[in-house]
Amino acid sequence: MATTALPRPKAYDDTFFKPISLWLTTTDHKLIGIMYMVTGVLSFVIGGIFALIVRLQLSQPNLKVVDPETYNQLISAHGVTMIFFFVTIFLTGIANYMVPIMVGARDMAFPRVNLLGFWLVPVSIILYYSGFFTGGALNAGWTGYAPLTEKAYNSHSLGVDFWALSIIVWAISGIMASTNFLTTIVALRAPGMRFSRLPLFVWAQISTSILLLVVGAPLAAAMILLEFDRQLGTQFFTTAGRPVLYQHLFWFFGHPEVYIMILPGFGMISEVIPVFARKPIFGYMSMVAALFGIVFLSMTVWAHHMFTVGMNVYVEGFFMLMTMLIAVPTGIKFFNWIATTWWGSVEFTVPMKFAFGFLATFLIGGLTGIYLASVPVDTQLHQSYYVVAHLHYVLFGGSVFTIMAGIYYWFPKITGRMLGHKLGEWNFWTLFIGFNGTFLIMHTLGLEGMPRRIATYANEAWAATNLIITLSSFLIAFSVALLLVNIVRSWAHGEIAGDDPWKANTLEWATSSPPPPYNFERVPPVRSFMPVRDLRESGELVESEPLPAHA
Amino acid sequence: MTRVVRALVAAVGIAAFPFVLGACELGGLHPIFPNPVSPNGQDIFTTYLWISVPAIIIFIGVEAALLWVVLRYRRSRQPANYVPPQVHGNTTIEVVWTIIPLIIVLGIAGYSFNTLLKDFQPITNAQMEVTISGHQFGWDYDYENGVVVHQEGTLAGEVTPFVVPTNTLVKLRFRGTDVIHSWWVPAISGKTDAVPGYDNFSWLKIDQVGTWHGECAELCGVGHATMQINVQAMNQGDFDSWMNQKKAALASPSPSK
Repeated sequence: MATTALPRPKAYDDTFFKPISLWLTTTDHKLIGIMYMVTGVLSFVIGGIFALIVRLQLSQPNLKVVDPETYNQLISAHGVTMIFFFVTIFLTGIANYMVPIMVGARDMAFPRVNLLGFWLVPVSIILYYSGFFTGGALNAGWTGYAPLTEKAYNSHSLGVDFWALSIIVWAISGIMASTNFLTTIVALRAPGMRFSRLPLFVWAQISTSILLLVVGAPLAAAMILLEFDRQLGTQFFTTAGRPVLYQHLFWFFGHPEVYIMILPGFGMISEVIPVFARKPIFGYMSMVAALFGIVFLSMTVWAHHMFTVGMNVYVEGFFMLMTMLIAVPTGIKFFNWIATTWWGSVEFTVPMKFAFGFLATFLIGGLTGIYLASVPVDTQLHQSYYVVAHLHYVLFGGSVFTIMAGIYYWFPKITGRMLGHKLGEWNFWTLFIGFNGTFLIMHTLGLEGMPRRIATYANEAWAATNLIITLSSFLIAFSVALLLVNIVRSWAHGEIAGDDPWKANTLEWATSSPPPPYNFERVPPVRSFMPVRDLRESGELVESEPLPAHA
Repeated sequence: MTRVVRALVAAVGIAAFPFVLGACELGGLHPIFPNPVSPNGQDIFTTYLWISVPAIIIFIGVEAALLWVVLRYRRSRQPANYVPPQVHGNTTIEVVWTIIPLIIVLGIAGYSFNTLLKDFQPITNAQMEVTISGHQFGWDYDYENGVVVHQEGTLAGEVTPFVVPTNTLVKLRFRGTDVIHSWWVPAISGKTDAVPGYDNFSWLKIDQVGTWHGECAELCGVGHATMQINVQAMNQGDFDSWMNQKKAALASPSPSK
């Protein structure tokens, strides 16, 4: 006994049920990452419930499931919850967990900033929902266009004020997280982890963090100016001021936010596809270059949300051109992903299914983006259900499918257990069918002339389509329920994963599942952008000793 | 067996998309916006169709490639112990798939910009001008001769029509009085926002007699869904008599409006 290797001291435990004091005070990036992700999933459920009520209201003409004021609050809460509190937060969480391990660091560069940044998120969420208790939350859509949010037209409650405060706190939290990511990636890389060997997920996180650093402040500025208008009587965005200035400030954040929500997804897909195709990523450098192309272009396209406000045609032409140019780097990424799988030995595990589901659906979101970028066509499609369909193809077919791929891919690393395969298959197919059933035919509604954000409609011609959409949306809800059941069941009873269940490429698979608080007992050598594969091929990869059941 | 079924489901789902976007009619819906009756709307329609050509080709090409990977390169279809070629990239092919999309989007942007220059600048040769102002919740149409049509919101869509003569180039001047509204009649043309603080412009030239519906497209408050729009095009004779009637009513205002 004394001569054998000592069992690793179990200074940490790998269950979800830890003392609350630990959760509240931890600076471990992994636990903070889990809290981000759990917050994100809870928000997903809440935002989904808002969406289901909205769909019930729209399922038939002239329904009165909710009154128009409540309806406006619901659509706003759905948008804010999904964009600010689900997708961005979940992605920050998965990056918080994975980025330090992937670069071979022990923790984030500023663990206590990480702690503070995370705890600002619940503050932001509680601030937003507090609006409901002041006579009504934000009721002007997640974009909250002035002057509708100004005191003159919105004085019945403090919903707008709480929203603005919530977003300011959220932006501060995002700026903290971004600074932390960038510092970690620049300063704490393991020996041998050159920039040219960073996993593409880490590159995606670099580009996302740069974006959020640049655009977070203008967002906060817009909210602060709006609050000045509302509470101090200034005239920045009022009817007497410049309402369109608000749109410029908001969309200077709002459009890059789309990429903040999709670039980490691109990164996850770039990790998942090579692993399951058993080929290195095709065109690593062009993938990185495409990310930065998108970062640059995404900051020059914001006014494409404003083609109907009456700008100079040359200005509109500029924004149209820049918007369409984003198709080029996105196209490069698409072709590289497909080329990675070409001639491969592609294993369609659940994460890979979600990756392919993402490719198949995000393509539609990308193509409809070209239609929307064209100014003349946009004046017809803008603010219609076509846009709702487009943005859900980008955010759901894009971000959510990549998040699902990420969950199924990294759950074994985070919990030490595999997510159930059979439930996972059901999860994928119900989500894929429910998603397309919901959003594909929304395009036709928009082309037919149904504006978004209307509380109800009288046109009988839209009734059948809306009913199909509502039914499909409940299939999505069913699928999300399957995911939750799968997570809860597998966390407790799932099959033990081992260190490296997928035979993957990046450093997180070289440590135990879940990793110890210090991530690595010995940081593995990094000789290429696929360090774990190198170790496996050279026979240096040692499975960590199985933990004793009860130490 | 199940794999074949899955592949079929995927193929059907994928094939459905171009058909949905195609010109077929499904249950009374026109999947492409209603036949436009004004030249600017027709140009939007044409632009939409031209963008659809590369879009559908790219859509079918990429989805077919994905389907091919699913069917041909799945592990169960590869020989046992198959080790894929470890390709890291190919500069030539990467340049090709950068340049070709670039050319396509430049083409689309150029075509769209042409339409933009043609139809989306304030016109100077209008035969008639109407000022449309939006308010919560309805529209006022000021004919510049004292006649104003008030179109107050109702959900049913049976609002007082905004009447224009056919084959007449009408300049539309948009004004916002409270919050931002957006005037949208899909059969005529795209949206134009009525923003407080400055005037926004559009135009129409309707080529046939008829009535077209639309509604406000920018969330403007609780009554947003009631801000319905009716545009009625009459031939010049009918329009003149309608206008004379309105003027007469203006000269002797009845106490009950």
